[in-house]
Amino acid sequence: MTTAAMTGCERVNRMLARQDHDRVPRHDTYWPETIARWQREGLQWDQTDALRLLGSDFQVLCWAWPAPFPGRREVLAQDAETETVRDAWGGIGRFWKGRSGTPEHIGFGCDSREAWEKIYRPALLAAPNPINTQLAALRYREGRQLGKWTYLSGVEAFEGLRRLIGDETCLVAMIEDPDWIRDIVQVHTDLVLRYLDEVLAAGVQPAGMWIYGDMAYNHSTMCSPAMYRELVWPAHRRMADWAHRHGMKFIYHTDGRVSGVLDLYIEAGFDCLQPIEAKAGMDIRTFAPTHGDRLAMFGNIDVMKMATNDVALIEEEIRTKFAAGMATRGYAYHSDHSVPPQVSWATYQAIVGLVQRYGTY
Amino acid sequence: MPLLTDLSAAVAAGKRNDTIRLTQELLAGGTSPQDVVEQGLVPGMALVGEQFRRNEIFVPEMLVAARAMKEALKLLEPLLAKAGIKPKYTVVIGTVQGDLHDIGKNLVSMMWKGANFAVVDLGTNVTADRYLAAAREHNANVVGLSALLTTTMPAMKETVRLLKSANLPNVKIMVGGAPITQAFADEIGADGYSADAGSAVSVALKLVGEAA
Repeated sequence: MTTAAMTGCERVNRMLARQDHDRVPRHDTYWPETIARWQREGLQWDQTDALRLLGSDFQVLCWAWPAPFPGRREVLAQDAETETVRDAWGGIGRFWKGRSGTPEHIGFGCDSREAWEKIYRPALLAAPNPINTQLAALRYREGRQLGKWTYLSGVEAFEGLRRLIGDETCLVAMIEDPDWIRDIVQVHTDLVLRYLDEVLAAGVQPAGMWIYGDMAYNHSTMCSPAMYRELVWPAHRRMADWAHRHGMKFIYHTDGRVSGVLDLYIEAGFDCLQPIEAKAGMDIRTFAPTHGDRLAMFGNIDVMKMATNDVALIEEEIRTKFAAGMATRGYAYHSDHSVPPQVSWATYQAIVGLVQRYGTY
Repeated sequence: MPLLTDLSAAVAAGKRNDTIRLTQELLAGGTSPQDVVEQGLVPGMALVGEQFRRNEIFVPEMLVAARAMKEALKLLEPLLAKAGIKPKYTVVIGTVQGDLHDIGKNLVSMMWKGANFAVVDLGTNVTADRYLAAAREHNANVVGLSALLTTTMPAMKETVRLLKSANLPNVKIMVGGAPITQAFADEIGADGYSADAGSAVSVALKLVGEAA
């Protein structure tokens, strides 16, 4: 099999089915500051060119994230570096001006079950679909022409909960008012699937669904596996089932240490896990042998090692992890997070070379 | 009269109403506010920290326990203040300059309060100078630096350098956060490293010379 003989879509599908394919599929994500650095160092255009150089096999069509007040962005205060904003989810956060980073969450409008039932639930249900289905269809046709694995994308219910009611309220309510949590999870999932149904109705037939939702951090999942199984997992299962019913595969993104719930992901029907965060203790050299036959692995190349710009160190990382992933035939390249601006353009080009060298079957 | 161990169990289980009731009953029965804190509430939160570190409980259980302790402290703090009793140790915490992330810091802060430390929370995007000023102003025993982003690790290194160069004799520095490792902590000269909120108390106690 030669690279020219196989499209990106065929390659990803064969990877997900553990069938022989020519090389590991590839994709990556970059901080805006990384692209800015690379532009100073010789990248001519923008991240699409970085992805072209990498040989990305993926094309996103749309982003589904229900918000009760779509389009709202009210600047409440600002200083030289940051601005405090009330956003489309009714929350107040402090954001950097002109650079990336997790915001400081100052407050959440939906801070009680009463606020949910009186204001936020009705507002969510009344909000229009934020997805431009015509644009999704254009991206689909473009992706098909380029042979890409086209996919629908969006946010799952746990991330939706956190954005709407905040981490502390969410995690406490999972113990003190689980029925409230179940209601938010159901409404969020209903809306995401309704929005994506409308995209499908525009005549697109994507290869997959790639859903985002960070449910873990360095230490573990934020809640216990049992609590996840009871309150959030049913929605995950529902999303994966929806994808499969429409002939699509399901990729799930979460940061953090999720080793305790890999079996639950498999039970939910997830086809693939991404980005498999190395600094959270996730290592495909451990998990590919135990779970790689049932859960494809997409990522795990440590951005902390990339950030050293030590190509020999990065080569060892890629060589050993690719060997583990490729042994299952179910592995795709992605950095384990987003490529940070400490990584030089020269280093990333070397990484692309290493991915090509070690990622060919 | 209930036992102090009953109070410990209630707070560890996150039973807010029971924690308040038991606190009131213990006080009414003549137990000193200091004993209620040090022999009732603090051991309960210490158990929470240990269970969290072992993955026997998770963030929701830690949060409800911290809330139960907070409610009990609302009853106790006026009494302690009246008696002139202050926490034995003062800790300063913040997220380093360039980083607005606060959940990790907030969890550590809760656990430190649960250990009856006086906690001075500087918030996020804290410059090295602000850490130093707060450490001096509050006669801190421990300064805790939190970072989520790899891009803010240099700011953590600079903060440690500034604090060390100030030669504050009794101040120990501990670090933590998603990209932080023991190796990085050692490299930048921090006195301690906490891998998670559950171990933040034991690390701080070790730094001030007390057995955890």
